[in-house]
Amino acid sequence: MSDILDQAHDTFISECFDLLAEMETNLQQLQVEPENPELVHAVFRVAHTIKGSAGLFGQDEIVSFTHGVENALDRVRDGLLTINGRMIDLLLECRDHLERLIEGINQPPDRALVDDSRRLLDQLKQLCSNVDKAQQSPADDPTAAISAKPPAEYTADVDREQDLRVSNCNWHISLHFGVDVFRNGMEPLSFIRYLGQLGRITSIQPVVDRIPCLEQLDPESCFIGFEIDFDSDTDKQTIMDVFEFVADDSRISILPPHSKLADYAELITQLKLENANYRIGELLTKSGALTERELNQALAQQQSKVASEAHLPLGQILVEQGSIDRSTLGVALAKQKREKERHHHESKSIRVDAERLDQLINLVGELVIAGAGTQLKAEQLGDEGLQESVSVVSRLVEEIRDRSLRLRMVHIGETFNRFNRVVRDVSRELGKTIRLEIQGGDTELDKSVVEKIGDPLTHLVRNAIDHGIESSEERTRAGKPAQGTVTLKSYHDSGNIVIEVADDGGGIDADKVYRKAVERGLVSEAQPLSEAEKLRLILEAGLSTKDAVSDLSGRGVGMDVVKKNVEALRGTIEVESQLGQGSTLRIRLPLTLSIIDGFLVGVGDSSYVIQLDSVVECIEFAKLETVRQHGGHYINLRGEVLPYLNLRALFGDQDGHAERENIVVVRSGGQKAGLIVDQLLGEYQTVIKPLSQIFARLSGISGSTILGSGDVAMILDIEALVKEAERGGHASA
Amino acid sequence: MGELASSRALSVEPSQGECGQYLTFYLQDEMFGLNITPIREISEYGKVTPVPMVPNYVRGVVNLRGNVVPVIDLPARFGWPSSPLNKRSCIVIVELSTADRGAIELGIVIDSVSEVLDIPAENIGSAPSFGAKVRTDFISGMGKVGDDFIVLLNAEKVLSLDELSQLEQVAKTAP
Repeated sequence: MSDILDQAHDTFISECFDLLAEMETNLQQLQVEPENPELVHAVFRVAHTIKGSAGLFGQDEIVSFTHGVENALDRVRDGLLTINGRMIDLLLECRDHLERLIEGINQPPDRALVDDSRRLLDQLKQLCSNVDKAQQSPADDPTAAISAKPPAEYTADVDREQDLRVSNCNWHISLHFGVDVFRNGMEPLSFIRYLGQLGRITSIQPVVDRIPCLEQLDPESCFIGFEIDFDSDTDKQTIMDVFEFVADDSRISILPPHSKLADYAELITQLKLENANYRIGELLTKSGALTERELNQALAQQQSKVASEAHLPLGQILVEQGSIDRSTLGVALAKQKREKERHHHESKSIRVDAERLDQLINLVGELVIAGAGTQLKAEQLGDEGLQESVSVVSRLVEEIRDRSLRLRMVHIGETFNRFNRVVRDVSRELGKTIRLEIQGGDTELDKSVVEKIGDPLTHLVRNAIDHGIESSEERTRAGKPAQGTVTLKSYHDSGNIVIEVADDGGGIDADKVYRKAVERGLVSEAQPLSEAEKLRLILEAGLSTKDAVSDLSGRGVGMDVVKKNVEALRGTIEVESQLGQGSTLRIRLPLTLSIIDGFLVGVGDSSYVIQLDSVVECIEFAKLETVRQHGGHYINLRGEVLPYLNLRALFGDQDGHAERENIVVVRSGGQKAGLIVDQLLGEYQTVIKPLSQIFARLSGISGSTILGSGDVAMILDIEALVKEAERGGHASA
Repeated sequence: MGELASSRALSVEPSQGECGQYLTFYLQDEMFGLNITPIREISEYGKVTPVPMVPNYVRGVVNLRGNVVPVIDLPARFGWPSSPLNKRSCIVIVELSTADRGAIELGIVIDSVSEVLDIPAENIGSAPSFGAKVRTDFISGMGKVGDDFIVLLNAEKVLSLDELSQLEQVAKTAP
């Protein structure tokens, strides 16, 4: 049982985060189109849903906070408050606060958080009270009826219609749960507990008349009801919302304070109609909802009504009675419609535990390996029929692999959208006007990559705003538009996903960076560097402290951390910049972290995998005109100089020579290189098995895989190998 | 004993409570003991795939039921010459828990397995401060069995992740 609760609790938290993300997006959008009522609804819905679920889990702090937010949003929905920048700021702040509250659920209560809640709620209240004051006219505006009114107004009403209204100054809630409430997973008492947070329950009378005799009692059915008197200055809608989850199959009547006696009469009629045995009148007087005299009056009214109106349908009666006012009905209908739409949407997607998905993908990985093994055996046997069917199977397996990998793919747009906020906040902090442009938000990549790329991207975006884009005055002087632009762009490029963070700012002065690096002893002056190499220096650790670069227009805050994060994802990062025009940081990431298309080569007794996307061509080595006389390691490839690495020598076997060597031409970071291998073994679906921790610092090998034969093969990290060769002298092999 | 080494994967039942049980084995005619608690299994010396550009005490990796597990050459780790493979060579799979990186599996190559011995605590003396053939901090104690002393290895130290992952310098010096 507690397991189920824990699970529900986790779901609650993760759902809240999703909802908050949605809220943020909607708030951002509201800034663009403040008139769009759908957006306000959406924001309201988030606050409301969180409040509802938090109530179920007894999270009082969250409930009371969201309630305040909801109240303010309600004013907006009713058109009493208009959305403006200040309001959005406040709402965003509330959203952030809510996030902190939810994060803090499992922690002991934090004083500072509670104080923040108070402060934000006060601000919201202030906004609302301004409006409420302006709205204090006694007009019979139907919308005013559902928003909270000071009790004074009721007294005025009561004065006018004294004889028709009861003296009870509390809400009366008649709550009769549907038979299936338990089966639907609801706990009736939790609603009442939650209700207690909106006000004071002055009296609660259980209605147990529906409980059948023991033989007929189904323990899974709910037969209980409550007559509740409730002291609160909240509005009817809010109370109705408390019971939202059970509203469909339960009978709930909510009578405002000093309701018309007729309403009570109606209530009694309804309940009596359903079950003649209800001792409802008795309960009402017991709870203090009605006095004895009022009850008698009501009963009298009821009888005359029954006589005159015979049988009116319930809805009609309700409307006539004014127990549901028009706007409440409107809201309810709209909600019903939205609910329907949401159901429609939900049926299209399923929430799956990421761990289960990972297990599935691991299994598919094993399947791919096993499939490769079968294929190998079939080839050895040489049975044509068998080979045929094995190839069908492997094609299917390949498809399953692709599809199951796609399950983990998510659009990067969601991550990008988060930066609207970053750009907005940071640029405001710095007093710059900056626009964020997003391109290619529908590019898909692995969820695990998305999760890890957020932080580096934040760094880059912040840097672009902080150091990249100049102040408006500077920009105007330079003849650029006063508003700076930061562009986030994403696209696929030969098996990689590329994410660009570009700005149209001042660019990076490569020479300045270089001089700084020389000063810091990162590079020696004797070492001539190309422009691109100089720019790359900003990614080095020594240049990462802010004071080191604050006099440069370049970046520097934690760029080495960014680089490390990207490399941990088997990605690379490039810097491109033009003085006065802006800079672009380009991150290249593998599409997925678990399976790649590989090219299998043999060196000595071992096999190695090269990522297929980086392979350009394969040529027999002997056929090539080699230039070995000067000890150089390069060949003439159709008039191009192609440096090469001899893998056999590099991997420690100096003397061995295969009879026929081949050269695999690979592309790495914009340049070509050759790798001399003994055998070409063809394409291979490679399931990446991470290497043990003890190889964490090994460069040149990015992982391992298990071949169909059960042997292990290393996956080569071409870029690292080439870099190592570039660094380790020109005759390393 | 022969059967022990030839069975593909013989799991050693972990024993309950404070265990003074040690797996004893030979490395170049010297007997060593290793507490059996972290030992997962002993498997036949199968195909070990060499990993390029690593120090010589890393023999390579093996496929252990779908997991790629590195194999450590114990003599090389002690700074001795590697022992030649023989038909009784086998790989002891050890699972070590690390504070920050979870449990990791490592294999160690040994020349031959002897037996599992109960060595009571009173028969275990401290490591000599010098004179042993292996680094003092690799020794957790000296077990007295009959008239002989067995070097009991400290698996955490011998297979220290921090030390094993110092691949960089070595890799650099490789040709």
